[in-house]
Amino acid sequence: MAKDNESTVRLTELQRNQPVFRGLDAGHLACPGCGQALGARLVTEAIGPDVIIANATGCLEVFTSAWPRSSWRVPWMHSLFENAPAIASGMEAALKAQGRPTKVVAMGGDGGTFDIGLQALSGMLERNHNVLYVCFDNEGYMNTGVQRSSSTPHAAMTTTSPPGTERMGKRHLKKDLLSIIAAHHIPYAATATVAYPSDLRKKVRRGLEIEGAAFIMVHSPCPLGWGHDGALSIEVARLAVQTGIFPIVELERGTVVAMMQLRNILPVTKYLGLQGRFSHLFTDAPQAQEELEHLQALADHNIETYGLRGAAPGDRDSESADTVRRGGLRWS
Amino acid sequence: MPTLTRGSFARGGTSLDFRTGDWRVARPIHSHRIAPCYGACPAGEDPQAYLALVAQEDLQKAWETLVGANPLPAITGRVCHHPCESACNRGQFDESIAIHGVERFLGDTAIERGWQYRVGRPGAGAPEVAVVGAGPAGLAAAYHLLRGGYSVSLFEAQPEAGGLLRSALPPYRLPREVLNAELERLLAIGIRFIPNQRLGRDFSLEELRTTFRAAFLAPGNGAGRPWSVDGVTPRDQRTGLALLKEWISIGSIPSYSSVAIVGGGNTAIDLARVLKFLGVRQVHVITFQALPGPGIAAEDAMSATPREITQALEEGVIIHDHRGVRRIILRGEQVVGIEMVHMKEIVHQDGQRKAVAFEGTEVVLHVDQVVPAIGQQVDPSGMAELLDGHPFFGPDSSGRLPNHPGIFVGGDARGDRGTVSAAVGDGRRAAQAIDAYLKGSELRSSMTEPIGYKQLNVNYFDHAPRAQAPTLAPGNRDAEAEIEIGFTPSQVSAESHRCFSCGECMACDNCWTLCPDNAVLKTREAASDGSHYVFDYDHCKGCGLCAHECPVGFIAMTEEP
Repeated sequence: MAKDNESTVRLTELQRNQPVFRGLDAGHLACPGCGQALGARLVTEAIGPDVIIANATGCLEVFTSAWPRSSWRVPWMHSLFENAPAIASGMEAALKAQGRPTKVVAMGGDGGTFDIGLQALSGMLERNHNVLYVCFDNEGYMNTGVQRSSSTPHAAMTTTSPPGTERMGKRHLKKDLLSIIAAHHIPYAATATVAYPSDLRKKVRRGLEIEGAAFIMVHSPCPLGWGHDGALSIEVARLAVQTGIFPIVELERGTVVAMMQLRNILPVTKYLGLQGRFSHLFTDAPQAQEELEHLQALADHNIETYGLRGAAPGDRDSESADTVRRGGLRWS
Repeated sequence: MPTLTRGSFARGGTSLDFRTGDWRVARPIHSHRIAPCYGACPAGEDPQAYLALVAQEDLQKAWETLVGANPLPAITGRVCHHPCESACNRGQFDESIAIHGVERFLGDTAIERGWQYRVGRPGAGAPEVAVVGAGPAGLAAAYHLLRGGYSVSLFEAQPEAGGLLRSALPPYRLPREVLNAELERLLAIGIRFIPNQRLGRDFSLEELRTTFRAAFLAPGNGAGRPWSVDGVTPRDQRTGLALLKEWISIGSIPSYSSVAIVGGGNTAIDLARVLKFLGVRQVHVITFQALPGPGIAAEDAMSATPREITQALEEGVIIHDHRGVRRIILRGEQVVGIEMVHMKEIVHQDGQRKAVAFEGTEVVLHVDQVVPAIGQQVDPSGMAELLDGHPFFGPDSSGRLPNHPGIFVGGDARGDRGTVSAAVGDGRRAAQAIDAYLKGSELRSSMTEPIGYKQLNVNYFDHAPRAQAPTLAPGNRDAEAEIEIGFTPSQVSAESHRCFSCGECMACDNCWTLCPDNAVLKTREAASDGSHYVFDYDHCKGCGLCAHECPVGFIAMTEEP
């Protein structure tokens, strides 16, 4: 609580006078350390005020719009779970008919993107609407109580993929959504993460600049669903990149054109070990050991497929893509 | 929030009305920690603070911060062994910051641009304090006492100030124009400088006691430590320091064709290099310590500055480390050689470190003189009552002598120092102790534990090579011209930007950028704690992300009050 009236006035004034535009107000109800809240904050900051957002059902929609208050400082529309891309398509068409330059952005979680809204998304991409679709990938249905989604990684524990004698967490693999997106041959698609905000911001701007459909998938740790301390959200997201578990790439017309290379490739156990959803793998059981090897092989496969090895000095690689400087010149 | 009746519709509003700060169980706070360079500096400098100002391109303010602790940066930037760099956290990441080069640059720039200390003249009736000895310790004490509002009389036995800086540091390490410029500026700020006055010859302790409220003694070590091998001392034996001083003051030195210098300190190395420059064919340095290098414990390494040792080796000085002199071979009274033996300091049963010679490792070295450079001790004349038969004074860390209230001691005469920067630190601490003594107040130490490497988040820094100062090629060196050439302004700037700013906010925007709750707000003016950020505790949920991701360890999580 505010100590006195004066400091309340000062904070309110400060909240309204920050040096960058903020699209998402404080006071939203996300869990402490929420990666998705951070992702949405960074994305809306990069977009700026001239935008209309269509937001699929999911954590983001729930925690930003507790009735009768809203965290959104831009026009924002909550759609059903499955139809944010369809609504965004319609808004884009309407704005086009009116000749207005306002940007349209659709947002969804991995449930709304990988599973429930995939058909609508595919349609939006196929019609090449001038819309940026941002998927906040927290690898599960966290809003409804941590159920598995098709984005949940292999061997992760959720309430619907519990580890036991038969299975070590989720049996299936994480859906390779990026390849599905790539198959639409849209002008721009990318992966990004909350751990490298400068990279994320750059990609959002690029996605908006491009005429036609653009897609960005943002890896967003979920302290509740992944079972890690809220303070470690960025650490976890960074390790996902540095181990090769979550490759950071850019595609144009379905072809990989850039990737964040890894200077020091770390073993996947560094990433997995911080998270409760993989804790069942850290036992001496042979099955657990096999799954650890399996996850390492999946990371190795990513590194090979996307050519993540072999950064040279001066590359914007996993060690230098987001460094800070005195005086906050981060974005320059 | 407005009250709503059943069936009405809501008036929309911002989520700022939700005080999510109520969820919090721990709160982030800004917490300044001292940097390891500051913790390690014998002179009490805070390099992190002046590097930050250099990075902001405010060189004069950086210099003023620096001389807040040490009035002689152009000197220490050249001659200090810079333990700050050994302690630097960046050393565990790639290479430590070249702090000495930045210090020297600031000192040189101040001389060039005529920057002056911000010190007022003592007021009428200011308490009178005496300082004996105008070496680095005495000069620093006089400076800090003057800053504290005291009226200072500085006594010096020699005609000029400087102590060992003037008498024993060869010009290739410390050019005389730099020394003179620093000392002239210092002596012009209102210190009453009284040269040619030696304690015990021209005035007595008793006179000091009656004339002054307090006295700081920094007489240095005027007497050579006795040295012999089984009672044998060669004819005409002089100590290394005496030879070096004679060469520096009058330019003469005995001519040898081959000489062995015993000792591993800066005097041994300086003398060896001077002799080499003057044409002595073979110059041997014999020390029971080790050449410094990776894996060599600090207590086993030669006490000379590592870069001086490296340069001496480049110039052809032969260093026999882990050796000692077993026997001096005389023909009549003339030295014709020495018998050298492997020696090492090891910990004995009684827990003391003692040098042990290893039988069966003796070799003969043909030399025509052997020069001990094994250290000095206090010349007791005029101070015998304070020394009580000991070779050195034994003051506490602030320079206070037990049983002698009002008398304070520092510099080499303590017996446990031996560097210029330590002497400067002694002067500063003694000035504080004298101030506390005269005001009858408690002497407080403000030093806290420096922040460690593990408490930083180095993911936000990229590797960058350390600036290298150019040096004269060994073939172009002589005993006069300065060997190490200073940094360029761009090198200094690059070094300042390499600084991790350990424990102090560097306004990198990380907390402000990464808070999922927008609960870190940026202010145009510095907030009260010196940073540019304030926490919005109405909305901060206490997740700790900012503390974990702060590159410099400036944010700590504390229990919610």
